[in-house]
Amino acid sequence: MEVRSSPNVWVVMAAYNEARVIADVVADVRTTGHRVVVVDDGSKDSTADVATGAGAIVIKHPINLGQGAGLQTGLDFAVVQGADVIVTFDADGQHRASDIAGLLDALARHGADFALGSRFLGSSVNLPPSRRILLRAATWFTRATTGLDITDSHNGLRAMTRRGASRIHLRQNRMAHASEILHQIATSGLKYVETPVTIHYSAYSLAKGQTLFDALLIILDLFARRLHR
Amino acid sequence: MIAQLLLTAMLFTILLYASMTYRQAPIIGFLTVLAAFWGLYFVWFPSHATRLAELVGISRGVDLILYTWVVISLIMLLNLHLKLRSQLELITLLARKIAIADAARSWPSPSEGLRKS
Repeated sequence: MEVRSSPNVWVVMAAYNEARVIADVVADVRTTGHRVVVVDDGSKDSTADVATGAGAIVIKHPINLGQGAGLQTGLDFAVVQGADVIVTFDADGQHRASDIAGLLDALARHGADFALGSRFLGSSVNLPPSRRILLRAATWFTRATTGLDITDSHNGLRAMTRRGASRIHLRQNRMAHASEILHQIATSGLKYVETPVTIHYSAYSLAKGQTLFDALLIILDLFARRLHR
Repeated sequence: MIAQLLLTAMLFTILLYASMTYRQAPIIGFLTVLAAFWGLYFVWFPSHATRLAELVGISRGVDLILYTWVVISLIMLLNLHLKLRSQLELITLLARKIAIADAARSWPSPSEGLRKS
């Protein structure tokens, strides 16, 4: 799909109890000049107020539903608002706003509907070896189950055209949404590209990250989803 | 004979439950039907149950029937879990509608009016 030379770009973040870091993350993304939507997923702290103060449009879930549900809410809202391109961005500060330009460029240059960030094509700072192994295993699993030729299956930094976003209907509310989105990209038949990005792990983002136990829950979630309509 | 009739009635209730489940979760419905027919067969042919039990290393046929009940219970538990997931999906859709409607009040879509910058 052709992306206009100066598309209307919306950056979507799902946030749960991120009051400590959300102001800096929103301010960083705002320097790119794009609109920022923060979906406050029923936070118990002041995430919504802090994000609003930093210049984001805030959508508040009345209850905590999970990151996947938050992203889908943000995608729906951005599409209704007329976004040409939607970027998903983690709210915990591990992504760099400067990588957004690379994603948008990849969409335009390759005529793709999805540009997926890859830390393994780019770089990752402070990535623990155990997390690296877990991510590699998850990528292998996703490649085997979706047929997508990707190097990083659980990277929250991605860009999609309006057409691409309208093909995404996340039903996995929690962490399994990252695999689900790739399944939906694969079944959509739309063009995707991978783009190098940098992920910066901090003690804060690592504490919020996934463990081996979470990975098992994700597999169970994906399996359970296939058992009912 | 009384026990056989009671068990048969219960297994037929499970078959009814399985047919209601089938539309939402075909795999669960199929497994439940399979387990219920398996149970019915052994209720009415207990000697076969004993023979099969001995074959697979369970000493008594009645134990095999009990195990079948356990399997049916686990399948029904899984079905309850799936129903809860379906309910959560509906709650998610509702929460999303509410959240977007609230946000749209301060940020109307282009078709609803002038956009704020």
